[in-house]
Amino acid sequence: MIFALTLVVCAASLVLMVLAGVYAYRDRLIDDPLLGVAAVVLLGTLVQLVIGLARMSSIDEGSELATFAAYLVSLPFIPLMTTFLAIKEKTRWAMGSIAVGAFAVLVMTARLQQIWNLNV
Amino acid sequence: MSDPVSTPHPGTTRDASHDLRSGPGIIIVSVYGVLALAATGRSILQIVEYFERAPLSYVLSAFAAVVYLIATVALARGMRRLAWVAISIEMVGVVVVGIASYLVPDAFPDRTVWSQFGNGYGYVPLVLPVIGLWWLARSGRAPHTD
Repeated sequence: MIFALTLVVCAASLVLMVLAGVYAYRDRLIDDPLLGVAAVVLLGTLVQLVIGLARMSSIDEGSELATFAAYLVSLPFIPLMTTFLAIKEKTRWAMGSIAVGAFAVLVMTARLQQIWNLNV
Repeated sequence: MSDPVSTPHPGTTRDASHDLRSGPGIIIVSVYGVLALAATGRSILQIVEYFERAPLSYVLSAFAAVVYLIATVALARGMRRLAWVAISIEMVGVVVVGIASYLVPDAFPDRTVWSQFGNGYGYVPLVLPVIGLWWLARSGRAPHTD
């Protein structure tokens, strides 16, 4: 995958993770700055999805391709789902779920890059 | 933290659903959702594209994916009994398949969610059912009426 894009998505999800973690700790509810960062993460994973789908035919290894495609498609749902839950359920735990989700985005995006590097 | 307005009325299904999803439950439901999504997508592709290569692995992957989907829905909608069943199957599955994948590695030419105790997924599949069962047990206690 495009390394710069991976970096952007990872950096944005790291910021989201820390910010949501702080919000959870301080018992603060979701607000515009946090939504903004979540939107950047969502946008990044969507761009990644489009580019990834267009280029994924260059991965030959079958099972790696399956993981790659599944992660690509799953990723945008994570910020979408956790922020949606946080808007509906206004508790500090919902902030915790955004933080955990952001961590998942970080790990899965890094894994996408790893699969790409090993197989292309 | 205590909110006198929304004191639960024990016994009604609505409160049971609220119980499972609220508090730490929201994190557990989210993690289940992510895992269910990733496992389902991966297993659909494996079965559609390369089924003959490792049928046992892929059938197991698909089974695991379905169990995760059921667990996610059951937790999100407060279907307590279904959640117990699904998460227990998960716990047994990850332990049995985990052990089998070390004893009979030839039977698992390709990884499943549960092989090697889920190390392909950062051992989340091993830890998650423990947390899930703990959460079901904890939130299942009768609410304190003080």
